[in-house]
Amino acid sequence: MARLAMISPSVSTGQLRAVVVLRLRLLVNSLRSVRHRLNLVSRALGALLVLGAGVGGGFALAMVAWEITKSGKLEWLAIIFWALFFFWQLFPIMASAFNENLDASGLLRFPLSYGTYFLVRLLYGALDIATALGLSWSLGILIGIISANVRLSLWAALSIALFTMFNVLLGRAIFVWIEHWLSTRRSREIMGVVFFLVVIGFQLVGPLLGRYGDHTSRLQVHVPAILLWVQQKLPPGLTSAALAGASQQRYAGAALSLMLVGAFSAAAFWLLHLRLRDQYRGENVSEGEKRRTRIATSAVNRGWGLPGIRGPLAAIYEKEIRYFSRSGPLLFTLIMPLVVVLVVWGGRRGILTHQAGFALPVGAAYCLLLLTNIVYNSFGADGGGIQFFLTSPVSFRKVAGAKNLAQLTVLTLDIFILWVGIRVVYQPPGFAVIALTFAWYLFAVPLNLAVGNLLSVYSPKRIDYATFGRQRPAESTIILSLLVQMGSIGVGALCIFISRLYSNLWIATLTLLGLAVPALAGYFILLSRLDRIVMQRREVLATELCKA
Amino acid sequence: MDAIVTTGLTRRFGDFTAVEEVNLSVAPGQFYGFLGPNGAGKSTTIKMLTGLLAPTAGSMQILGLDLSTHLVEVKRQIGVVPEGMALFGRLTGSEFLNFAGRMYGLDRDTAAHRTAELLDFMELSAQPKTLVTDYSHGMQKKLAMAAAVIHGPKVLFLDEPFEGVDAVASGTLKAMLQRMIARGVTIFLTSHVLEIVERLCSHVGIINKGRLVAQGSLDELRSGVTAGSAIAHEGKMTLEEFFLQTVGGPRNATQELSWLG
Repeated sequence: MARLAMISPSVSTGQLRAVVVLRLRLLVNSLRSVRHRLNLVSRALGALLVLGAGVGGGFALAMVAWEITKSGKLEWLAIIFWALFFFWQLFPIMASAFNENLDASGLLRFPLSYGTYFLVRLLYGALDIATALGLSWSLGILIGIISANVRLSLWAALSIALFTMFNVLLGRAIFVWIEHWLSTRRSREIMGVVFFLVVIGFQLVGPLLGRYGDHTSRLQVHVPAILLWVQQKLPPGLTSAALAGASQQRYAGAALSLMLVGAFSAAAFWLLHLRLRDQYRGENVSEGEKRRTRIATSAVNRGWGLPGIRGPLAAIYEKEIRYFSRSGPLLFTLIMPLVVVLVVWGGRRGILTHQAGFALPVGAAYCLLLLTNIVYNSFGADGGGIQFFLTSPVSFRKVAGAKNLAQLTVLTLDIFILWVGIRVVYQPPGFAVIALTFAWYLFAVPLNLAVGNLLSVYSPKRIDYATFGRQRPAESTIILSLLVQMGSIGVGALCIFISRLYSNLWIATLTLLGLAVPALAGYFILLSRLDRIVMQRREVLATELCKA
Repeated sequence: MDAIVTTGLTRRFGDFTAVEEVNLSVAPGQFYGFLGPNGAGKSTTIKMLTGLLAPTAGSMQILGLDLSTHLVEVKRQIGVVPEGMALFGRLTGSEFLNFAGRMYGLDRDTAAHRTAELLDFMELSAQPKTLVTDYSHGMQKKLAMAAAVIHGPKVLFLDEPFEGVDAVASGTLKAMLQRMIARGVTIFLTSHVLEIVERLCSHVGIINKGRLVAQGSLDELRSGVTAGSAIAHEGKMTLEEFFLQTVGGPRNATQELSWLG
């Protein structure tokens, strides 16, 4: 009985109003400092960009939907629904720097009903990039369909509303489940094993097709048909089937499709509820050990002895690597570049397979993008530990240098996994491509690290490495880091474009090597001045990072 | 040569003066308690003395070294437990202590040896794989203290080291501090708990509204004969009596709350 009372579904509007007022108050109070005002400006700029993408994308999708509806082949709407679905579900995971997860522990100390808690968790971040764009693009599709066929207005509104609800619920459910799985070492290990099994399974498809060669042609005929059948039974396909049925006045079939979308939404709701219910009941997912064993004096780790790195530098490097290895979200980013390359290139038989040579540089650029959270806010995860750095006799030049070294290690590991994946799935990247990627890195990495070190000091924000969705840096950092990253990727792309005009990739490699010289010089000059900058900014650093 | 000397130490935040013209002097080997009501300027002072905050005016010397010109040399010789404890939550206790030792220049063997000893002394060795973030508040305080002393500092700055600590952990911390004093270490401690200060400290300074209002040995304070204090009292007072007379007692203790009836 007590347990049932604990998860009462009632919603208190007073409490919801209090949460909204709290968010507004926090925003207004944060505007007292120049840095936070700058963050608000950056957020406004970001919102403008999202608005542009929302309106532009919505307009484009409206045109496509209009064209499809006019042609009467509404089943084809499944293509845009699938694209929308993948974007909605994958973007928050692939670009975690843009998402922020709510720390529920602060809420749970109040007498909040489960219904209110669920609603707050569902609505918090309702205007994150994926949801905002997903909503505006869905609206675009709706307008496109209605403009082409007014008779479908009610069906289109209902179908797209249900599809939107499904996406919002599933997105939230995926987020909280990944957060849960990545929170403990055991589940991280299981996820890692599952991932590698999937990758290995992916590799077995080709040999199996070769082994059973006789059946290959039959399979090639059957596989698309099977895929088509499966997609029709899933929400994007069901939504388009409902619209197609309604346009052909097969209302019973259309209603059934919509009911199935509703059932999928209910399933997503249930998945989300399972997680949130446990959180609401005070679930503790800390990694505290259950078995207590006294540590023997001789068993204390001596710390890592690293060739060429000594003293405090080695200690900070070891600390950083330990932090990375205990961060589920960061370990997740190690595999994301390979996943993205496989998704974009479409595997061994994908549409871009003939351009597989460029999978390495593109994946490498994505690796660098993924490191935004740690490179551009490198003291964020230290929290109160920043006071230790500030009171210790080690210069910040060394602290930042050791952190950069650890970040380089993660990047190298990322690239290595990517290289192995590309080598296995496609073909070993040619020497010229490897040299080009290396040259671009020599230019882009010091540039990003230099600006990253500067922003880490000027715009610090406390983050939590352990929790999925709580690594987002300050808004001004996101905008500036994106500009630097887009700039460095743009320079690389321009060099490749020019070298392809002359059919000689080495032109790009040599140009990028030339650009690497000032980038490296800039990095070291900035590093040498970092102590002075930190001394001027120490109060902001300590205040921001020691916030509870 | 005094271990800690400040002259005209001042810190302003905009129009608000948190610390004003504070002149401290703490002799080597003294256990100095720095007292004051909430918001009096204790933490601001200790932050300036440990390099976490820049003063607006005045000078500070630790072990004869000027902080504005010899900050790194000073940091090598001091240990600090700041207000936020300065811990790295995603390390285990032993990893953190080892890290702290190496940051202060200890070689790997010495750092590992002292880590094991300190974990044992602080009774933290029972959970070697627990992350610091999962430690209880008292355990975190003990760990912060262990990290502050691992390199054998000559001066120790402690900001509210007994806040939120139970009697058992408090006993361990006191034992550690008494050992440090016996070794000739100077300890500068801020605390709200007058009883602890009275029991541990040999000298006390009282700050109120940013100004140092009394400074001297405990005996001098109890008899009301201290620099800066104008309290006349016959016989000896307790530290609490002296403190309340110096900074003023509670003004609204008799006020009633309408909703409490």
